[in-house]
Amino acid sequence: MEARIDKPDLENVMACPDCDLLLQQVDVVRGQKALCPRCGYMLYSAKKDSLDKTLALSFSGLILYLPANFLPLMTLDTLGLEKSGSIYDGVISLYQHRYFFVAIMVALTSLIFPLVKLSLLFLVSLALKLKFYPRFLSLCLRYYHHLDEWGMLEVYMVGILVTIIKMYHLAHIQYDAGFFCFIGLLWVALGSSVVLDEHLFWRLIEQKNS
Amino acid sequence: MMSDFLTAREAGLALCQDCHKLIPWQQQGPRGSLCPRCGADVHLRKPHSISRTWALVITAAILLVPANVLPIMEVDSLGSAAYSTILDGIIFFFEDGSYAIGIIILTASVLVPCFKIIGIVLILLSIHFRWKSWLRHKTLLFRVIGFIGRWSMLDIFVIALLQVLVNFGYLSSIESAPAATYFAGVVLTTMFAAITFDPRLLWDA
Repeated sequence: MEARIDKPDLENVMACPDCDLLLQQVDVVRGQKALCPRCGYMLYSAKKDSLDKTLALSFSGLILYLPANFLPLMTLDTLGLEKSGSIYDGVISLYQHRYFFVAIMVALTSLIFPLVKLSLLFLVSLALKLKFYPRFLSLCLRYYHHLDEWGMLEVYMVGILVTIIKMYHLAHIQYDAGFFCFIGLLWVALGSSVVLDEHLFWRLIEQKNS
Repeated sequence: MMSDFLTAREAGLALCQDCHKLIPWQQQGPRGSLCPRCGADVHLRKPHSISRTWALVITAAILLVPANVLPIMEVDSLGSAAYSTILDGIIFFFEDGSYAIGIIILTASVLVPCFKIIGIVLILLSIHFRWKSWLRHKTLLFRVIGFIGRWSMLDIFVIALLQVLVNFGYLSSIESAPAATYFAGVVLTTMFAAITFDPRLLWDA
C-alpha cells in the first residue's frame, strides 16, 4: 500500500524516517503494510490488540527472566566430570578472567538490556491500559526505542546452539531448566517487540497530553 | 523524477527521531528544539552524522585487524595450550564436516563485520561524491547493515559459554584470549556507526 501527498496539512501527514519523503497517513487493515513509495521503508503495519498483547507478553517475559538467566542452561559430562553453567556464569567468568570490556558487553546485551526492555514495555503498556499517564511515560518509551537493538537474546540463542554442536561429540550434554526457560523468554521477548505498535502507543500518550 | 517528491525538510517540517512526530521546524539555537510529544531533541538531520560515522567506521576497521589476527580462544588440554583465531575456529568446523555451523560462524564473525565496514564506507563515499544513482538500493544496504550488526556478538557469546562449560581443570579447559576484546570493540563501533548515520543524507544530495 502506498501513499503520497502533494500539499502538507499537518493533521494526517507523516515523513519517512529513511528518506524524509512527506506522506499522507493512510489506514491499513490487518495483513497490510504501508511502505514508503520512494525508498521502500516499512512505515507501519496493522496490529490487532497491540496493547493487551504487549502487556501479556512483557509480563510473561519478566516471570521467565530470572530462571532463564540464572538457572544452569546445560550440564556437560566428560569422563564422569560434570560442569554446568548459566548465562550469568558466563559474564562472571569473563570478569574473573579480566576481560572487563567483553564482560560488560555481554552483561549489557544478554542480561541487563533485555530486562530493562521488558520492564519498560510492561510499565508503559500497564500504565496505558490503566489509563494512568505519569510524566515519565514518554521517557520510558523513548528509552525502549533506543535500547531495542541492544538486547540480543536471539543472538545468544544461536550462540547456545553453536556451543551445543561444538560439544556434541566431545561430551554428553544434559539440558537443564534454564535452557527451556531461556527458549520461553526468547519467544515472549521477540513476541513483545513484534506486537508492539509504537504509533498507537505514541498516539495514546499524546491524546492524554493534549 | 526527484522534483516529483516533497520532503519534510522542503515543507519546513522536522521528524522526531524518537517518536516519529512531524513538527514545524524553526531553528532555536544550535541544539535544535524539543519534541512536544516525547521531549526528545529534534534535528532536521542527525547532528554531525557524516564525521561521526567516519570516525566510528575507521575505528572499527582498525580494530578488525587484531580481532582477526590475534587468538580469540585458548584451549588447554592436559597441560598444553593451543590458541585459535576466529578463522581457526571456522576451519575446525569445516574439517569436522559441520558445514552449516561453519557457514553461520563465518558469516557472523568474518563476513558481517567486513560487509558492514565496506557498506558504510561505500555509502559515505557516495554522499561525499554525490553519486545519485542506486539510492533505493543504498538505503536498503544501510537497512541491512543496521539489521545484521548485532549478530556479530555470536562468537563472543559462544566463548563466554564455552569458558564456563568446558572447565575441567588440568584435563581440558577453554578460555577467552585477547582478540575477544577487539572483536567486541568492532561490534560496538559498527553498531554505533549505523546509529549515528542518517540515511536521509543519501536522498538530500
